[in-house]
Amino acid sequence: MSAASTVRGRVVKVTGGGLFRWLAFGVFWGYLVVRWLYQWVGADLLGMDPRAPLLPVETFRTLATTWDGTRIGGLFSFLRVAGDALPAAVTGTWLTIILTVVAMAAGLVIAVPLAVTRVYGGPVTRWAALGYTELIRGTPLLAQLFVLYYGLSLSATLRELPFVGEGFIPAQAALVAMIGFIINSSAYQAEYIRSALQSVEVGQLTAGRAVGLSKLQTIRRIVLPQGLRYGIPGWSNELVYLIKYSSLAAFITVPELYKRTRDIASGNFRYFELLVVAGVIYLGLVLSASALMGRVEQRVAIPGLGE
Amino acid sequence: MTLLEFADVHQSYGEEEVLDGISFGVDRGAVEVIIGPSGSGKSTLLRCVNRLTDIDSGDIRLDGTSIYARDENELRQQVGMVFQDFNLFAHLTALENVTLGLRRVRGFSKEEAVADAHDHLERVGLLEQAESYPAELSGGQKQRVGIARALAMDPEIMLFDEPTSALDPELVGEVVSVMRDLAEEGMTMLVVTHEMGFARSTASRLTFLDDGRLVEQGPPEQLFERPEHERTGTFLRRLTELHGGIDR
Repeated sequence: MSAASTVRGRVVKVTGGGLFRWLAFGVFWGYLVVRWLYQWVGADLLGMDPRAPLLPVETFRTLATTWDGTRIGGLFSFLRVAGDALPAAVTGTWLTIILTVVAMAAGLVIAVPLAVTRVYGGPVTRWAALGYTELIRGTPLLAQLFVLYYGLSLSATLRELPFVGEGFIPAQAALVAMIGFIINSSAYQAEYIRSALQSVEVGQLTAGRAVGLSKLQTIRRIVLPQGLRYGIPGWSNELVYLIKYSSLAAFITVPELYKRTRDIASGNFRYFELLVVAGVIYLGLVLSASALMGRVEQRVAIPGLGE
Repeated sequence: MTLLEFADVHQSYGEEEVLDGISFGVDRGAVEVIIGPSGSGKSTLLRCVNRLTDIDSGDIRLDGTSIYARDENELRQQVGMVFQDFNLFAHLTALENVTLGLRRVRGFSKEEAVADAHDHLERVGLLEQAESYPAELSGGQKQRVGIARALAMDPEIMLFDEPTSALDPELVGEVVSVMRDLAEEGMTMLVVTHEMGFARSTASRLTFLDDGRLVEQGPPEQLFERPEHERTGTFLRRLTELHGGIDR
């Protein structure tokens, strides 16, 4: 189906040997999960420092001193700085993931009716939906975050709410960022879904109407199940973008991955090491996300649909 | 007794008059075969009956009441339609293609819908393919699912829009035979087709459209053997040469 293939094609594709890939994913997610559990409950139970890196950082330091001035010494020096930064970075990673997942999920909830309105709405509603997506897609995300955080009294209002910043509920800056990402992502997702809906063949709608389904039933039972499947590759791109764009939350003081590593670097001036740490974690998240979406795509695939 | 009646139906796309005053009635239980060159308005005429296309003037009455006086979705449930390119719901299995309307339009429970859909698939000889997706079916099988899907709505009349035109020649027979069974069971059918074998053997009447007008109407043998109009004879001779007119 050529109509469907125009919205296909993935930006990031996981390559490489199966075993090596799963080993890498295992180490990456294994460390993240162990670190999170240790920080939330483990350290308390064991009576240990919750900021312990769970890596032999002291050994790295000794080895770096022993081979000072050589390449091996440089490597261990790098490992020591990275190891010291990992606890904070991994804490930030949690927030990065939460920001991304919530923005994607809530953005999707807004994007589906938005896209349906763009394609099947009346003149006024269609115009309104177009206005929303073009306004959001036509202005910088950073500017949107600034407007929400500095321009509106949103964070002051959020701070008054009793549960904000308690337990697993993020603090007000993170909530503002979340709202910004939801709004921004909903516009982009709506565009991906709109083009996917338009690639559903007209005959499918005609047949739905001819059976006696209402327009809304036809959209819900026929157009959306097909269109959303066509939309998965494009939608995966949005997930990948959002993981990285979430770093903009750093500029409104949200302590996510990028902010955590940048703050450490501005203290110890080891910018290279810290940017590598952040980069490797972002890469791990992005590759995991696209591998996951590949799985989802396979899982919901239907013979002959979008092939 | 007239079930479907066209009364001076006019329809145009922009400047072009597609239907230019069509009037005739279809009796209950009749098999009305509509023939005519491409662009003669045959498919448009069918699409007007279930309001996929709206007419400019005139009226279409089903069972005595204007189709415009009825609820659109209810009308479409009473008028089954079979398409040239099948238009099976691509993301649903053969069974689900049939149950969707049963559940969402006729309000059947899941169990009732599945049981009823099985009956309809069996009627078109596709019970074994119930769990197959459209892409896994041959053209003839797809069209038979299309017929089962329309029949499941318990329609008063069935519209067939060139149901065999997109099929490989060897698959035409299975679809025609299902249609013939349906005719024998007394279903009222309005069929646009170039399948002359079906027209000769099963049609109660042939209607020849050209240029949006009804040129000639009569029993198949009359139109084939002694057409009143030169155009009818020329068209039917050419069609018979092309499509064989063999009784399948």
